[in-house]
Amino acid sequence: MTLGDAAEPLVHIKDFRMDFGDTTVIRDLSFDVHAGETFGFLGSNGSGKTTTLRALLGIYRPTAGTLHIGGKVFEPRDGASLGYLPEERGLYKKEQVLDVMVYFGRLKGLSKSAARSWSEEYLERVGLAGKAKIRLDKLSSGQQQKVQLGVTIMNNPGLLILDEPTKGFDPVNRRLLMDIIEEHKRAGATVIMVTHQMEEVERLCDRVILLKDGVSRAYGTVEAVQEEFGGTVYRVTHDGSLPASALFDVVSDEDGRAELSPRAGATEEEVLRVLVEAGAGVRSFTPARISLDEIFIKVYGEQHELGEG
Amino acid sequence: MALTQHNLGTVISFEFVRTIKKRGFVIATLALPVILVLIFALVYASNASTKDTADAQKSARFAFTYSDASGIIVPSAAKLAGGTVSSDPEAAIAAVKDGTSDAYFAYPADPAKETVKVYGADKGMFENDKYQAKAKQLLAVSAQNQVGSPQLTAALTGAVKFESETFRDGSAAAGVGGIIPPLLFLVVFYFSMILLSNQMLNSTLEEKENRVTEMILTTLNPTTLITGKIISLFAVGLVQILVFLAPVGLAYLFFRDRLALPEVDLTALVFEPGPIIAGALLTLGGFTVFTGVLVAIGAIMPTAKEAGTVFGPLVAMMFIPFYTFSLIISNPDALIVQIFTYFPLTAPVTALLRNGFGTLNAVEATIVVVELFVVGFVILRLAVHLFRYGSIEYGRKLSIAGTFRRSELAAK
Repeated sequence: MTLGDAAEPLVHIKDFRMDFGDTTVIRDLSFDVHAGETFGFLGSNGSGKTTTLRALLGIYRPTAGTLHIGGKVFEPRDGASLGYLPEERGLYKKEQVLDVMVYFGRLKGLSKSAARSWSEEYLERVGLAGKAKIRLDKLSSGQQQKVQLGVTIMNNPGLLILDEPTKGFDPVNRRLLMDIIEEHKRAGATVIMVTHQMEEVERLCDRVILLKDGVSRAYGTVEAVQEEFGGTVYRVTHDGSLPASALFDVVSDEDGRAELSPRAGATEEEVLRVLVEAGAGVRSFTPARISLDEIFIKVYGEQHELGEG
Repeated sequence: MALTQHNLGTVISFEFVRTIKKRGFVIATLALPVILVLIFALVYASNASTKDTADAQKSARFAFTYSDASGIIVPSAAKLAGGTVSSDPEAAIAAVKDGTSDAYFAYPADPAKETVKVYGADKGMFENDKYQAKAKQLLAVSAQNQVGSPQLTAALTGAVKFESETFRDGSAAAGVGGIIPPLLFLVVFYFSMILLSNQMLNSTLEEKENRVTEMILTTLNPTTLITGKIISLFAVGLVQILVFLAPVGLAYLFFRDRLALPEVDLTALVFEPGPIIAGALLTLGGFTVFTGVLVAIGAIMPTAKEAGTVFGPLVAMMFIPFYTFSLIISNPDALIVQIFTYFPLTAPVTALLRNGFGTLNAVEATIVVVELFVVGFVILRLAVHLFRYGSIEYGRKLSIAGTFRRSELAAK
């Protein structure tokens, strides 16, 4: 599989709909991922992210719509340039680490010696060199995850699709994983990443899509999405009580640390003046962009509230 | 080279190597030959001992007395064997009892109706047989001497060879020599299914239980994966058969006399093309049907344990025709035999039996072969379909109808 003309999006999804029986789980979903970018695919559990990836990779047949990679429907024979880390992890647990890695390397078109040599180098890098001849089920869960990641990035794929890549990793290994993803990004790989770790998205992703109930709720660059969901917030530390005002909403307020979301038309000066005049005891006042975490809570909070209601 | 073709070889190699490397497989495969070797060794030791004992008994020289009311015993032969005539049976028995004589044989007036009495000094369970052996040998030699004709002796003792020849449609019928070759396909079928069926079932379950399917399906077409698995299993089966046959072959080649293995006269076997071709096709067709069914079960069931509950009855289907064995070979037109002949899961064994015994005509054989291949192909397609869908239904039992009702399944 060639990864297509640079002018064309590498991944193109248009009017994608997916029905499971009578239930529509994805509705008219459209988005593109361009070659070389890192794309965050966000949404709560059950919002349709994994279903979309499975349809994109030909595991499911879409009810309607177009799902293309490199200008065509994906087929397993194109798998050599794809690195897919599925949400449901697993390898041949009763086989030796190196044997499994070499097998997947061979399936991706590497020669046996190239696959072996690549695997040995990778295991050395992630601190598993001494485990090459150990059965996978003798490794810890985190070590198995490392092997799985190795299988995914083997053959330096041009497109990495990672479904919750940090799931099951401790902070140290999460850092290692992020470093590896960044390396591939720097090498020109396109990365599609499903994650609930918003700080990772803010650090790594060029663009994101936020899915709720199978419908896109936000799509664009991280900055554009932040702008769309309130843009700037004010982080305030204070000694007194915060007043209620028509100029802003109090997003959070705990132990003298508050976050205020200005309403349309309210300026920074106006908000600060209201606080000072109300005797809030403002010690610091810092404008900042709304975090993706907050956007996430904003979007899915509505759902939870409705659910509770 | 297309990646798909390349991957077929990779799958075959991976599946074959990892299967034969498994400790369980090595133990299971070597267990039978080891047991066979042990049995052969015991038989060898036992036969050697028995032969030595029998030889010793035949040639055992000991003094004995005898009385002959029949008049059959030739005195010179008795004397040559170490015998002395006794005119007083009571005294002869007393001499044996007090150990002054080794044995006493009392031949009655009519040995055909009365018992020859043998008395001897106890030498242990096995050595005691020498007395009877000697009494019998003396009677046989004397009878042969009386008849005076080796031909009559042979006829009387049954040492005559017979050879039968029967005819069908004006030509000599093959007889037993013609039955054995096509029946060997039944043996091959049973061997392959018994050795491989469990592995067939587990091979697809493994992807599911290990949740490796999604990784696999993005690099490999499910048809390629399943084809690779079937070919590798077949290769594994061949290895097992060779390992199993090795001790038998070695024993036959080097220890045949000592093990009392029957002489195999291959010239007596008749290889008729029709039954041989039909047998080969029925075996392949049956293998295809059962492979498809087992792979499909593996795709539907969430775990090996649950698959085992379906696996048992399925294996039973292979053995059920044997319960009607006599009916199958004596009355092939019986309704139950007809049903077994055409029902896909009983057809391979029933048709192979009928093919071997010559009661499956060309039209019936053709119908069954076509049926098995068509049904086998359909079930294999269904198995691939179920694998593609069922293998990502982790931890859940799959509804077959559901996979067809739901249109989201990719149809590759």
